[in-house]
Amino acid sequence: MSAMWQTQHVVASGIVAAVGVAVAYISYTAQPAQAFLFPRLISTVFVVLALWTFGKALIGKTKVGNGLNRTQMINIAPGLVVALIYIFWAAKGLGFYTATTIAFFILLTLYDPAPHNKLRTWIKRVLITAGFLAVMYGLFAMLLKVYTPREIFF
Amino acid sequence: MEFIGYMGDVFTPINFALLLIGTIGGLILGATPGLSPTMAVALLIPFTFKLDATQGLILLGAAYTSTVAGGAVSAILLKIPGAPANIATTLDGHTMARNGQGAKALQLSFLASLVGGVFGVMLLIFLTPVLAQWALAFGPSHLFWLAILGVTVIGSLDSSSVVKGLLSGCIGLWLATIGFDDIMGAQRFIFHDAVAGGINIIPALIGLFAIPQVITMFANGRKPSEAEVLSVERHPIRKAISEVARRTRALSIGTAVGSFIGLIPGVGGQIAGLVAYDQSKKVSSERAKFGTGHSEGIIAAESANNAMVGPSLVPLLTLSIPGSPTAAVLLGGLLIHGIFPGSDLFDNHPQVAWTFINSMLIGQIMMCIFGLYVAGLAARVAQVPNAVMAAVVLGLAVFGSYSVQHSMGDVYVMAALGTGMYFLERFGFSAAPLVLGLILGPIAEANFVQGSMIANATSNLGTYFLTGPLNLTLIGIVVASIVYSVWMELRHRRYTTKDEAVAKEEALS
Amino acid sequence: MRKLIAAASMALLSLTGAASADDHGNYPERPLMMMVSYGAGGATDFQARIVTMTAGNEDALGMPIAIINKPGAGGRVGWNWFATQAEADGYTLGAYNIPHFIAQSIEGGVSYSADSFEPIANWGADPAVFVVAADSPFNSMEDVVNYAKENPGQLTFSGAGLFVGHHIAALQLEKAAGVKLAYIPNNKGGAGAMKAVIAGEVLGGVNNLSDAFRAREAGNVKILGVFDLERNDFLPDVPTMAEQGFDIDNSSVNFRGVMVPKGTPQPIIDKLAATVPEMFKNGRVAKKMKAGGSPMHIMTRDEVLEMWAAREETLQELLSGL
Repeated sequence: MSAMWQTQHVVASGIVAAVGVAVAYISYTAQPAQAFLFPRLISTVFVVLALWTFGKALIGKTKVGNGLNRTQMINIAPGLVVALIYIFWAAKGLGFYTATTIAFFILLTLYDPAPHNKLRTWIKRVLITAGFLAVMYGLFAMLLKVYTPREIFF
Repeated sequence: MEFIGYMGDVFTPINFALLLIGTIGGLILGATPGLSPTMAVALLIPFTFKLDATQGLILLGAAYTSTVAGGAVSAILLKIPGAPANIATTLDGHTMARNGQGAKALQLSFLASLVGGVFGVMLLIFLTPVLAQWALAFGPSHLFWLAILGVTVIGSLDSSSVVKGLLSGCIGLWLATIGFDDIMGAQRFIFHDAVAGGINIIPALIGLFAIPQVITMFANGRKPSEAEVLSVERHPIRKAISEVARRTRALSIGTAVGSFIGLIPGVGGQIAGLVAYDQSKKVSSERAKFGTGHSEGIIAAESANNAMVGPSLVPLLTLSIPGSPTAAVLLGGLLIHGIFPGSDLFDNHPQVAWTFINSMLIGQIMMCIFGLYVAGLAARVAQVPNAVMAAVVLGLAVFGSYSVQHSMGDVYVMAALGTGMYFLERFGFSAAPLVLGLILGPIAEANFVQGSMIANATSNLGTYFLTGPLNLTLIGIVVASIVYSVWMELRHRRYTTKDEAVAKEEALS
Repeated sequence: MRKLIAAASMALLSLTGAASADDHGNYPERPLMMMVSYGAGGATDFQARIVTMTAGNEDALGMPIAIINKPGAGGRVGWNWFATQAEADGYTLGAYNIPHFIAQSIEGGVSYSADSFEPIANWGADPAVFVVAADSPFNSMEDVVNYAKENPGQLTFSGAGLFVGHHIAALQLEKAAGVKLAYIPNNKGGAGAMKAVIAGEVLGGVNNLSDAFRAREAGNVKILGVFDLERNDFLPDVPTMAEQGFDIDNSSVNFRGVMVPKGTPQPIIDKLAATVPEMFKNGRVAKKMKAGGSPMHIMTRDEVLEMWAAREETLQELLSGL
């Protein structure tokens, strides 16, 4: 509960306040005005509350929210990067099933505490990945007949 | 008592087999992320083409009942609410499952669903004419006030800071305005192709609840988590039954709120669970325990969302107006057999009508039996290691949100909202009020616009929105709800110091 | 390991890329999807599910068609998606509603027009009708118009939205009767508009013939007139607007059919245009449609192209007066 904690809160509530101001600005300027009546109402309340929160963060009176410590950030980073590449590029670029297989396996490798130097660990990871994919394929492709983007394999 | 005469029809071998298929299929579909009850029932419609009317409706009725309850499974075990109705279930249910009491959470939810569901169907059987009047009584001005009542719940819902709770609600209300506005058709806030069609509620729900969960698991890093050593508590069904029986207050509030709010066309089904949760929290003597895996929270939420099933069909069966999207799909199931709901249905096809209603009654019981049976097994999910769980939830979130409309845009929206929500949660914002805003925004807006158009043509805004017994009653409840929240806030000052609040949060995350 | 996967993926990617550049002789090779820009359970959705139910038969397409709903803003959300984001590979079909999407494209603010789509075939035509609650004092369109003349701008009546068939019908009525009415668009589509009439929130409403027919069977509404050139087989006792002295044609009749996005390969369009109307003619389809109270009206691609062009013209004229 330090300077870093307070800085984080200032940044977070600052971003929310900025979004609020942008929304309010658009609401009060965009056309047709009739369609923006409700957004004006919301954005006004939005801005007031957001600035209130931002002000409280600035003077260090924030009460709730733990923020993120250094370890958490380091832990999150690789997983989040993999997840975002998976969702925003690979799912469509490689096809859902291929991308899911790869992302699933990488995430297991990244976060599974089992030792990397044993063959058993790797076999287990491959089996879990295969099992999950089989369930997904059975459920979505065969039972629900959802046609997901397919590029390679299936 | 006419329904008893047709009870036998449910138990002919073929019909009963269809009931079982509908129940089990419904539980599976309901537990699948991304499949709301409406979609699940729509998926089953083609199968009914080949059946006769009675059989088709048995399948659909059983499936409708059990998809609503099945949604609780993914809400409790994975923190992915299957539909807006299950949002309130995640609040206590998932926390309970993470403490190793998944079996208990599931048992409570299925038992509460059974009680609520049977009560709801009973209302449908005995009070249909009264309920039909009630469903019609709500015009635009009343729906507007009802949405505002929902907004007042925001401040007190699952947030340790009232201001941040309200701010979360505002973010949700704003997100709901993205896309085309429903009445005028003007484009608003479309800053990316993915949101051109507005934010679809199901992918948004998946993102807002599941993704923060995944990232929290990442944050624990590559260390053996307590999940693997966590002992999964075995929980005898007997104990669950006595627990539900003991929590009569939560059970009756949930059932009452669910059946009466759930019946209002277009609004009820989505907010009944949350309103019931909030109300039972307000009157509970163990108010502080809500959100930490408290049984009353689960019981209120689940009895409410299943109590809604029966009454939500009243406008359809009596007036031939589908009151909810799911009812609209069921209407299709009737129409392809040339049966028109309304007086035609009960006068000329009583066998179809009553067998359908009976199938929902028996379906509730079968759903509960199957649910209790799988509860013990399903609760082992809590023992799945963090790494596997994170990857599984992520994969399900992607497939689930894609399958709603076969749209990549929905997947992007899901991921963007989810990632944003994780960081917001770290700073004291919460997902439940945000989602409530997302749901209520369009209801409040559309009804206000429609109401003011009618008002401008006939009288004036003030008379239209502020007079009449129903308007005044609703305004009274809104005011009472706000006053009560403020009073409780002042009296308890829930978390007086920063350290206390932080300590409470640590305990939760 | 990852490099290996990447290399293998690249190789396979080029393989599948090469394989797909054929002459579409085997089309369709996998299930198709059809986008409906209204919610599950709405009239368009209900009919779309029936008319496509035989798609998997060998004498039809040989592959099933799955319905995907993209509801919102009177259909704008779905059609916008269909015009800008749907893949023109022949596996993505869409349901059209005339006059809705043409009227919306004339009004503006959307990324589609009649030129963005290629029609395949028409399956149904659902005229708009004027309904009032069963206990309403109005018994003919004359009563309604007289009331509106005495209380200009105060006759509230509901419809499914702005710039959809119901709204066109409302505009035509205002013009033909020379009165000012208060049209209240509903955000819940035809079902919501019907509820407003039955609950007495509004004095009357424009609604789909199929839904109004059902509501009348249930004893909830009276149907005062049909916005079409001739009386409908489902409602032989209800006079048309023209019979009651209002100069109103069939511009508001809701034509429903199948289309594909512009850019879909011509061989696929030809194949669909030949097969789909035959698929609609299936006896089982006709039976289910009749049972549901939905009037069928099958038209081929050429007939639809003509109808679209004609509608475009009349709507331009009608809406320019706004």
